[in-house]
Amino acid sequence: MKLVIGGYAQGKLDYVLSKYHLNKNIVWDSVLPDCTLVKETIIINHLHLWIKNCMLEGRCPEEEILLFLDSCQDCIIISDEVGNGIVPINAFEREYRERVGKILIQVAERAEEVERVICKIGQKIK
Amino acid sequence: MMVLILGGSGSGKSSYAEKVVLSLSDSSASPDMKRYYLATMLVSDDEGKQRVLLHRKLRSGKGFITIEQPIQIHKALEKMESGKKIALLECISNLVANEMFSQDKIKPEMAVITDVIKGICMLKKEITHLVLVSNNIFEDGTIYDKTTTEYIHAMGKINQRLAAMADKVVEVVAGIPVTIK
Repeated sequence: MKLVIGGYAQGKLDYVLSKYHLNKNIVWDSVLPDCTLVKETIIINHLHLWIKNCMLEGRCPEEEILLFLDSCQDCIIISDEVGNGIVPINAFEREYRERVGKILIQVAERAEEVERVICKIGQKIK
Repeated sequence: MMVLILGGSGSGKSSYAEKVVLSLSDSSASPDMKRYYLATMLVSDDEGKQRVLLHRKLRSGKGFITIEQPIQIHKALEKMESGKKIALLECISNLVANEMFSQDKIKPEMAVITDVIKGICMLKKEITHLVLVSNNIFEDGTIYDKTTTEYIHAMGKINQRLAAMADKVVEVVAGIPVTIK
């Protein structure tokens, strides 16, 4: 599993598609598919939005992501970095940023490679 | 040695900073070095209390002596013993907010910058190893009101000065330390 992170509108998905010569039809947008049904490489885009949706639905993204990573053989996970700003006044937004940060730490720990993308240029940080 | 550690919310900067402190004050190499934790958060609500509890739990068993010093950071020195010591200051963004907003009147940006830098210089002079945690608050692309903008500016300038003073600057990204200086 590879993790690709970066700020908003930095071309993260385009970077991944062109670097690995992959096609858009393997992209899952803010959804984690059932990996027992999918065997080829997949891309999870907008992981941060998936986390937000889980929170809004009262689910536990921390547990679900670990189960997903256990079952998934070959995937590239893309997420915005959302914690690099003024701490929001809204309590939900504060919790959301913290949880995205902590989940990205967990995913990064398990990733064989972590890249940070800026201006569609990747920097390998792990 | 002075180390500046930067990161966003939930980036893992605190636990990395603790690792840095433990490695700089390894008890076999420096058995008589005191470990201080300079806590800067002003606790006003339950969420704040929970954060303090969480951070205390993370630090427990690591031999830290906690000093609460939300403003006038140099006064922490009065609460320390003489001899070799290491201090982990967490975090600059709270200290700057407290210096700017916690008194009757909002303190102007320039005065905040001068006071914070002066305070850190005094700590640096007396403390063997100083590890500072600061926050990356600069990348949400939002335009804020005048007061918040002043705060962001003060934080930016303070981070720049601290980075210039530091022997090492590290940004923590998804728990991964990325060396900047």
